[in-house]
Amino acid sequence: MSTVASSRQAGALYWPVQLRRNVGVRGLFAVVMAFLVAYGFLFPGLLTASGFAKFTQSWFPLALVAMAQAILMLTGGISLAIGAMVSLGAVIAATTMTGPLGVAGGAAAVALTGIGIGGATGFIVVKLRLPAIVVTLAGSFIIGGAALLILPRPGGAIPEWLSDLLAGNTPAAFVLLLLIVLLWKLYLATPLGLSLYAAGENPVGAYRSGVPVDGARVAAYAISGLLCTGAGLFVAAQTGSGDPVIGTAFTLNSIAAAVLGGIGFLGGQGTMRGALAGSLLLSLMISVMFFLGFTPVAQYVAQGLIIIGAVAIPQFRKVQQ
Amino acid sequence: MTKSSFFASASALCLGLLLSLGAGSQANAAAKCIKGDRKAPYTIGWANIYSVPTWMKQTQGTIEAEIETLKKQGLVDKLVVTDAQGDANVQIQQIQSMIDSDVDAIILIAGSSTAPARVLADACAKGIAIVNFDSLVDTDQVTAKVNTDSAQWGDQAAKFLIDAIGGKGKILVLNGPAGVSVSDDRRKGADAALKAHPEVTVLAETNTPYNVAPAQEAVTSLLFANSEIDGILSLGGALSAGAVLALDKQGREQVPITGENARQFLELWKEKGLKSWATMQPNWLGAFAAYTAVQALEGKDVPAFVKIPLPVIDNSNIDQYLARAADFPADGYIYSPYDEELFKKLLAEQ
Repeated sequence: MSTVASSRQAGALYWPVQLRRNVGVRGLFAVVMAFLVAYGFLFPGLLTASGFAKFTQSWFPLALVAMAQAILMLTGGISLAIGAMVSLGAVIAATTMTGPLGVAGGAAAVALTGIGIGGATGFIVVKLRLPAIVVTLAGSFIIGGAALLILPRPGGAIPEWLSDLLAGNTPAAFVLLLLIVLLWKLYLATPLGLSLYAAGENPVGAYRSGVPVDGARVAAYAISGLLCTGAGLFVAAQTGSGDPVIGTAFTLNSIAAAVLGGIGFLGGQGTMRGALAGSLLLSLMISVMFFLGFTPVAQYVAQGLIIIGAVAIPQFRKVQQ
Repeated sequence: MTKSSFFASASALCLGLLLSLGAGSQANAAAKCIKGDRKAPYTIGWANIYSVPTWMKQTQGTIEAEIETLKKQGLVDKLVVTDAQGDANVQIQQIQSMIDSDVDAIILIAGSSTAPARVLADACAKGIAIVNFDSLVDTDQVTAKVNTDSAQWGDQAAKFLIDAIGGKGKILVLNGPAGVSVSDDRRKGADAALKAHPEVTVLAETNTPYNVAPAQEAVTSLLFANSEIDGILSLGGALSAGAVLALDKQGREQVPITGENARQFLELWKEKGLKSWATMQPNWLGAFAAYTAVQALEGKDVPAFVKIPLPVIDNSNIDQYLARAADFPADGYIYSPYDEELFKKLLAEQ
């Protein structure tokens, strides 16, 4: 363990570095904070345990898919199969958990499917050098079709206690999210995690420096798949059932959240906290605008303006500097 | 059905169906979810799944008109509208917001037949009247569900078409989107009649959104592949219009086709002199849902399920519908007339 000394030095640098990484998303953080305060003001029930629980439950699946998309975009990839993966996770959970496999078996099936399909997609993209956008678009049809084969129409069931545990009146979803963020931090400290940004920003340079570029990218796809089917499991628990097309909207929303959070399309740019804040803003907007009494048409316009605003604020400051 | 006016026939049909249903539950004094602690004027939440299609806009139009009427009666003071833009997850979040803001009633078209079940149970537990219409949720934790019978829709359409092509021939089946309960139920309803006539061959089936353009495209490619088609079992109005246009553009002879009350289809029907049959999902289900929710809040017992009889349009009465065409959008649906008397009758006779 000769790295102890250097890591102690790195420890002193940790917070300044983290603060600097926030630069691009400060505007977004401010907007999110403003929305949180506005929401708490409009709906004081948010500050109760059950109010907070319900709010975080609405956000949780979007947060997971935003992370799933962000991790791919950081390596220079993208996935158009996010929604289909969520649907697949949901139908697998809803068809297995009340059967002989039980909750543990069902959860394992969901996780293995996510890692398996994600890993396979990553392998095709990375090893065969095919464009991620094409592979995942094709993949979305296959995966979406598989979800419809498993459950041709909405149905299935999730044990009541699991639904109550994950999506009842306790902030279990929020605690889970904290755990996942913690795991992400730990992952970034592993060799594969460290390679993630390098593989995205400058793959050739990283490769020449001995970074396992391909491994990092395939691993990113596998983790992304796991996050998606995990989000599907949560949606199934939240709704108490499976729906083969429930995930569709997550594909675009995951990209919106990641881009809003400052993740660049070219790889290596952005932070996971940005993507999470982006997803939180997308989720918050829906509730806040409801309480402001906006009509649906006004909501469309407002949503667009807020998104442009959140992306533009940091740019304005850069221009001024 | 042929000579009497449409309205009388509709009521007769309705009466017959209602009688055959038998008297449902009448023991409970108050309707499900109602606790009696909410007082007029009420706030009504309309949790729409998707506001863009014309059918939805027309449905919202009937809801707004009904709310205006109820406002004049001092029963309602506010209508809150949300639009989930097709995302069932967003609809759940919006229903949660309605619960949080303590609306008195929620009416909804569900974006998923299963997903909103738990949030609706929460709303029901808070004494909020819930009336679910059109796309239904598999739950009993609502005050009332209102719909036509999708299986019957498919069954009647299949029977008409089989009859129209003389009990044998090659047909296409046009379905709505895959994985959606309404489209699935209509198709299942058609199954028995198709199975009973083995000489009717289904050449191909399509799954498209309930829109003209995708249906036209799908049928066009099927026409290239199949030179001989005797009939088209279309399980949606815009789909039928797309199919008729596809046949027309290729210079093919029109064949017997089923459909819905889409204005474009009815006009094509008349213009091309088709032999057709159509039914409808009346847009006033929305108005009726709002009316039912307020009745329940007022302490009236309402049935857990209100089955709306399917009005039938055929060559005998299509002119009555087309006579009113100008009152409806060009890409809209010409629905049957409605008034409070009809609503009262529908609620009383279940």
